[in-house]
Amino acid sequence: MEQNPAPSPTPGSTKTVYCLSALVFVFVGLAAAFMGDLWGHPPARQEIALVDKSFLEKTPWRKTYADMVRAKEDMADFDCYGCHDKKKPPPLRFDENHILIVPEEHKDIVMGHGTHNRNNLCYNCHNESNLETFQVRDGRELKFADSTQLCGSCHGPNYRDWDAGAHGRINGYWNTKLGEARKLDCANCHNPHAPRIPTRVPAPGPHALRTPVEHPHTPETVH
Amino acid sequence: MDRRSFLRSTAAFAGLSALAASLSPLRELGDYTNVEQFMQKYYKEMTPDDMTKVLKRITGEVERQYGIRPHVRDLRPMDGVEFVYALNLTRCIGCRKCVHACVAENNQSRSPEIQYIRVLKMPHGSMDVEKGNHTYDDKEVPDKGFFYMPIQCQQCKNPPCVKVCPVNATWQETDGITVIDYDWCIGCRYCEAACPYWARRFNFTKPQIPKDRLNPEMSYLGNRPRKQGVMEKCHFCIQRTRDGKYPACLEVCPVGARKFGNILDPESEVSYIMRTKRVFIQLKEEMGTNPRFFYYFDK
Repeated sequence: MEQNPAPSPTPGSTKTVYCLSALVFVFVGLAAAFMGDLWGHPPARQEIALVDKSFLEKTPWRKTYADMVRAKEDMADFDCYGCHDKKKPPPLRFDENHILIVPEEHKDIVMGHGTHNRNNLCYNCHNESNLETFQVRDGRELKFADSTQLCGSCHGPNYRDWDAGAHGRINGYWNTKLGEARKLDCANCHNPHAPRIPTRVPAPGPHALRTPVEHPHTPETVH
Repeated sequence: MDRRSFLRSTAAFAGLSALAASLSPLRELGDYTNVEQFMQKYYKEMTPDDMTKVLKRITGEVERQYGIRPHVRDLRPMDGVEFVYALNLTRCIGCRKCVHACVAENNQSRSPEIQYIRVLKMPHGSMDVEKGNHTYDDKEVPDKGFFYMPIQCQQCKNPPCVKVCPVNATWQETDGITVIDYDWCIGCRYCEAACPYWARRFNFTKPQIPKDRLNPEMSYLGNRPRKQGVMEKCHFCIQRTRDGKYPACLEVCPVGARKFGNILDPESEVSYIMRTKRVFIQLKEEMGTNPRFFYYFDK
């Protein structure tokens, strides 16, 4: 406790007075220092912008035919015989380099399946005798909703991995006793006409706590 | 009142005020600890009643600070489960979505940034992490001639970070997750120095999380908000995985490069990968840490 230094003739109490005065002085000094922010604030940190929420998105970037049916979307694009004739399979046309010409009506389709244009033929997968189904090399006919099996008929090892859960995306529960595991289909990630996954913009990289100080290069650090 | 007693009381008052003012920085102590937390028992010695009280305290603290009532739980390891992570280096495109999904799920500080995952951009033909760059700033990924290697806590079977902790604030659980009790950590950063994977992060400042980005689904050893001066690291999303769910980094991966599961279950994806894939690396295998995080190739 502080006490007012009281003048006293005895030498012991003089000592106490000096001690107390010194303490009061120290406390007043500290108080003044804190009030006046004598040490100043730490250097202001650079505010880091929050990451765009699109980078946190878990939904796949493509919808499969089955997804669209489930979401009750407009399926007009899949009504082949709205335009085509049922008995006459549409002919394929090629340019002078034997590359398929994508007809004007389907010009949103980018043909890029396989290297060296070896697999860019519509009827490798689509069924010419029934355009609303797929045909598999072994003669099976598949619905649009079963596209994953069609992919698997050629891409055996990847289909096997996908089936085991090692290829592709699974969301939900690893412990299927506690909840459902939702395995995504090939066409959720790959565009069947151009399956290579396109490049994308990466999310922002890490920011340092402080701006790194540029040290002059010494012979050891010069590369 | 005579002159002497007036002077005496004035001086005493001034002295006391000065004392109070000089101790004023202690007011911020509340941000670091409080009586309840200070008197709290060690995690492994807590009875279920103690834990209920602690979870209540944390719920109150979070609600006061963020205005959101969280759902804080203390999830225990499941029997017959050992978690393993497998990452497909053939597939990873370096988009860093996992980094930010992790931050969002686990309530890491946004500014300054704390991130559990670092994605290294590495030149083809080398596995030397010294050649990796984690601050790459490309317009489009993947870049030609490079592959990407995300690194996070490897959940070692022989964890050096646990050995060096002077207060046993970090330990390995039976399902293989090395956890940190943020209320027990003294912030000495020995574990950060001991970790060969640069996986542990230190809260140098008070973590800043915007209210609208706080994840209210929390667990005691997992993603509850941390305080200044404690360590944190990846805990395989303990609040999700002990509930049977996949970790956040896995769910957000756009190419399915991340695989997670129970290695004790022969039917799980990770068991399949260990059996059939070229699982070639436990990172820094020669350190003898024996990670539960495996890197593999498809082809």
